[in-house]
Amino acid sequence: MLIALHQLAAALYLAAGVSGGMALASPGARARRASLVLLGVGALLHLSSFAFLHRAQPTPALTDLPAAASLMACLAMLAYLAFARRARWDALVVWVAPVGFLGAFVGALRLPHAVGADLFGSGSWPHAHVLLASAGLALLGVAGVAGLAFLRESSQLKHKRRVGARLPSLETLDRVNVVALAVGFPLLTLGVLTGMLWLEGSHGSPWSGSAHEIWTTFAWGIYGVLVLARFAARQSARNAALSAVGGFAFLLFAVIGVGIVA
Amino acid sequence: MRLVLVGMNHRSAPLAVRERFAVEDPAPALAKLVASPEIEEAVLFSTCNRVEVLVSTREAEAARVRLESFFARELCLGQLPAGTRLADCLYQLHDGPAVRHTFRVASSIDSLVIGEPQILGQLKDAWRAAVECGACGVILGRLMSRAFATAKRVRRETRIAERPVSVARVAVDLARQVFERFDDKRALLVGAGEMIELALEALRSEGLRGVRVANRTRARAEELAERFEAEAHGLDEIPELLCDSDVVLTCIGGDGPVLSRETMAAALHARRGRPVFVIDLGVPRNVDPAVNGLDDVYLFDLDDLSGVAEENAEERRRETIRAEAIVAEEQQNFAGWLSALQAVPTIRDLRTRAEAIRDAELERGLPRLGLDERQREGVAALARAIVNKVLHTPLSRLRREAEREEGVVYLEVARTLFGLDEEPDAAAGSDPSEIDADEGEGGDEGGGHGPVRG
Repeated sequence: MLIALHQLAAALYLAAGVSGGMALASPGARARRASLVLLGVGALLHLSSFAFLHRAQPTPALTDLPAAASLMACLAMLAYLAFARRARWDALVVWVAPVGFLGAFVGALRLPHAVGADLFGSGSWPHAHVLLASAGLALLGVAGVAGLAFLRESSQLKHKRRVGARLPSLETLDRVNVVALAVGFPLLTLGVLTGMLWLEGSHGSPWSGSAHEIWTTFAWGIYGVLVLARFAARQSARNAALSAVGGFAFLLFAVIGVGIVA
Repeated sequence: MRLVLVGMNHRSAPLAVRERFAVEDPAPALAKLVASPEIEEAVLFSTCNRVEVLVSTREAEAARVRLESFFARELCLGQLPAGTRLADCLYQLHDGPAVRHTFRVASSIDSLVIGEPQILGQLKDAWRAAVECGACGVILGRLMSRAFATAKRVRRETRIAERPVSVARVAVDLARQVFERFDDKRALLVGAGEMIELALEALRSEGLRGVRVANRTRARAEELAERFEAEAHGLDEIPELLCDSDVVLTCIGGDGPVLSRETMAAALHARRGRPVFVIDLGVPRNVDPAVNGLDDVYLFDLDDLSGVAEENAEERRRETIRAEAIVAEEQQNFAGWLSALQAVPTIRDLRTRAEAIRDAELERGLPRLGLDERQREGVAALARAIVNKVLHTPLSRLRREAEREEGVVYLEVARTLFGLDEEPDAAAGSDPSEIDADEGEGGDEGGGHGPVRG
């Protein structure tokens, strides 16, 4: 059931992306609404699939990379849907849905081969760590996608080209960026802290010196600087968008890429 | 019933001619038209770009002649410009082309600015005026209703009205790509000319409120400021005003730019990165083009806006292909309805004829049967049911076939077969025994024509 729901969610995300693309190319709000509905149903199925996580053999821990990536994508979709209720954010579905598709697809592909959980009897800290860190990553991912859309639209306007009427304004994209950063960074911070508590419980020390720990702490530090630049130094909207894209790329590398390289 | 449309528009007649035919109140003209014996219904449509009269009639040629004389004698205000022949300025359309033209007008495909929204409202006003003075009946009422529905479909299913084509609206449209809302934004106007006013009006329609006007002549700035509830300033105050201006509109005479890269960079620093949208409508340009190179500044000059406007107009022209397909489909639907309407007299005559025969035969046969009241009612109900059942299939088929082009053949055949154009007695046969004799053994199946036997 876990895999079937992942596959179904991936298919719905893909359909939402296609429908979102069609909505940009055709008049009327029907295709846009359909893409949001598809994305919403996909996200709900995706979320419900995690209820079946414990029935998989061996039970993949949420700390397993495919499961974490899938959960992160699912939370990103839910975060986006919460944002999309505001005017014209719904056009971003064409950018967001492929992220959901990738997360669910990777989950469906890799979860059957996932390594079983090895939680050393650390109580709830591992799951709290993954949930909080994934939620933080998801929101910072939304900020990254909004930043990417901002840079594209900004470049088009700079080159005197009209941006599609159904795409969000630069002001909206910047606001998504601010909100996602303001909520995402504290969640990421809590994720890092609960990770340390997990390590403390299992190894007796909050710091093991693993590559994952070093890189994610470094990424957290970078985000800390970005948050300061954004809220204390009033960074410009374009620089903030660049930072959101660069920061998220680095964070993805720290969380996923380092593990792959290792 | 035929449809005739006679009119002139921006393509067939210059403004000097069109202005002679402007109609403020169509009611008196419509009353005169429908008083003519050759015209059944009429709608008069007058805007700055067109004057058209659409009528339904039974005599198309006579109606056309009447409409031409109506334009020449009753609608024309004063002399036409020298060398102008009215006949050269008028176009005449009949039936299908008249319907198509009306649908195209309502959908704004035929407008000077394709996709402009005002035309539909003007057409609705014309229709209301015709209804109020009793000039619009079933056929034109249906035609206009379908025209409005077609226009809505065109707007819903195509992008014909999506992109703005005037410089002022393009500026606003581009500003909306930068800002989500305008009610919390402030604008700085540099100059106080007509172009600035147009752009400002368009921005104010989007909710922009905080406006400051800076001009070389302070008195002119104060005049504009008073009209738009704004503040007046001198040009020397621009650097300071820029710091809290989200939208900057410039259109002022002079040799050099009034807004340099350095001034804007300093303002951006003070704004702490909040974006600025700059519209430079001046010729020569009022804003140093290098300003566009600064982060968070979006500069559009007159050429840029005209380029986008032209691009949008081209997009609208491309969309007319899809709009024309919708118009053609709706025209066909309307033609079907109109044709079906032609079947109504035949259907009515056929039913009346059958019912007359039924009633006559009941009247003649029932007294001979010696039935009581209840039995007589039963026989009458049976006769009614038989007639209805016999007529059901041919009438349904007539209705359906009448919607097609060749439907008229079916109507003619029905009229001939049932003798609907002859006197009732001649058609039914005065002596039922003749029918029985002609039909031989099969005569019993045609019992509907003969008397009921005991």
